[in-house]
Amino acid sequence: MKITEQDLKNISLLSKIKIDEETSDSLVKDLESILTMVNKMDELDTSKINPLTHPIENTQTLREDIEKKDIEREKLQELSKEKDSGFYLTPKVIE
Amino acid sequence: MSELINLSLTDQILGLADKSFSSKEITGAYLNEIKKKESLNCFISVFEEESEEKALMADENIAKNKARPLEGIPIAHKDIFCIKDKKTTCGSKMLSNFISPYSSEVFSKLDTAGAITLGKTNMDEFAMGSSNETSFYGNVLNPINEKLSPGGSSGGSAAAVRANLCSFATATDTGGSIRQPASFCGVTGIKPTYGRVSRWGMIAFASSLDQAGIIAKNAKDAAIALKYMSGFDQKDSTSLNEEVKDLQKEVDAEQEHIIGIPKELIENIKNDQVRDSFKNAISILEKDGAKIEEINLPHIEYSLPAYYVIAPAECSANLARYDGIRFGHRSESVSSLEDLYVNSRTEGFGREVKNRIFIGTFCLSAGYYDAFYNKALKIRNLIKSDFDEAFKKVSSIAMPTCSNSSFELGSISDPVEMYEQDIYTIPANLAGLPALSIPSGTADEMPIGLQLIGNYLEEGRILNLANKFQKLTNFHEFK
Repeated sequence: MKITEQDLKNISLLSKIKIDEETSDSLVKDLESILTMVNKMDELDTSKINPLTHPIENTQTLREDIEKKDIEREKLQELSKEKDSGFYLTPKVIE
Repeated sequence: MSELINLSLTDQILGLADKSFSSKEITGAYLNEIKKKESLNCFISVFEEESEEKALMADENIAKNKARPLEGIPIAHKDIFCIKDKKTTCGSKMLSNFISPYSSEVFSKLDTAGAITLGKTNMDEFAMGSSNETSFYGNVLNPINEKLSPGGSSGGSAAAVRANLCSFATATDTGGSIRQPASFCGVTGIKPTYGRVSRWGMIAFASSLDQAGIIAKNAKDAAIALKYMSGFDQKDSTSLNEEVKDLQKEVDAEQEHIIGIPKELIENIKNDQVRDSFKNAISILEKDGAKIEEINLPHIEYSLPAYYVIAPAECSANLARYDGIRFGHRSESVSSLEDLYVNSRTEGFGREVKNRIFIGTFCLSAGYYDAFYNKALKIRNLIKSDFDEAFKKVSSIAMPTCSNSSFELGSISDPVEMYEQDIYTIPANLAGLPALSIPSGTADEMPIGLQLIGNYLEEGRILNLANKFQKLTNFHEFK
């Protein structure tokens, strides 16, 4: 399977990770090698098989609707470098 | 005091109870050993003072006859489990400054059972790797031969148990990350049924495959540790609301075993030593009374390709949370919000993690979703059905843990060659089944493992079989 320059641009854009020119050749080699291995799946006819997203059938259990304060906002926000008055700060998005 | 660290968990519990030694002595002995073997790079953090304080408290509890089941036992946690107010890096630069605001259920359960956390073990970055070489904190060395890899991703936990740096260690397994390093380091590792152990506070890689487990000196120790780690947790939506069996009792119970052998897979093992050792292990169990049945797992060879679509797909979604804003690495060189996302992620993730995010992103993108992701999920269904069929006539399935023993650090650069490390371990993750690895011989003078896969929630049965094997052999013994 071939990875085109456009494919690389797309996955870089979607994953929000830069691909620099120096490593792009070896990256393409890695990705093509992985996708070639993955293509073995095509040997199987799965047209009549249902997809299985999860190994165990389980339904979500719900707890009592009572307010819990396990984790405080202040404590969580201590982890961010940039915050103010309970908000997280990012570079300006509106001109 | 060095002999204390060689004792099994079972003997440590007995020795502490009858006051042959104290938790202070045993904890001190492990802390000394950790310092002495620092060059193995097993630990990312060590909590020396806190462990010593907890040991004194444990000794008080024992003196007052108020000992909890694991009172005063020094253990280690893989650095993927959050511990409140402690750094949890997941082996990544991305989380090098992350101080967890809450504790994982795995830590809380073992802490409540009285275990002392000596520190947090090194691992492949975000648990993605089979050699421990992708850790931002440098690779771990295999204590048996320091030129070789301890395996991954729980290499720090496996090496720490093998080097006698803790009584047992927690670990996680998404595609073999407990069993392969256990095999490489000659120790016992178990990944329980998916949902048996809570994933709350365990940093996510591929949520439908990730499961926490134990690396220990032997099957009996693993059974005890796993018993206190298992159970329903409302905070994890995939946690199983099923009774926790008394594994400690079950591991020693009289049980009959019917072992399924996937004949075709065994005949295709390329490494003669691995194949011969496997056959030898099975004949030992057969002589002891286990029945052997040939089984067929027709789709097992498609596990690796299906896994390398599903795991990266889930990884690319899970790791989207690292945006540089709320926690984790935040790039300094930014002029726009887009820059903040892109630069933080580009600087924070290592090469292997990026590869997996790229593959996952590609497989989930428009035009490829059906051909890759949906196809892989259908194959996952076929693999699960193969196991369901096999378990109609057998009580466990045996195969090697890995197709080779440990390899030299730096010797594998092709990603697919590295991924092939997990060809025998991945199927149990895809099906969500419990599986363990126990030492069963050597290849090229390094340990190799026998893998036992059980039916859903039958951890006790495979641990019982593993314990039987360890009573008949000494492959698991080390000083």
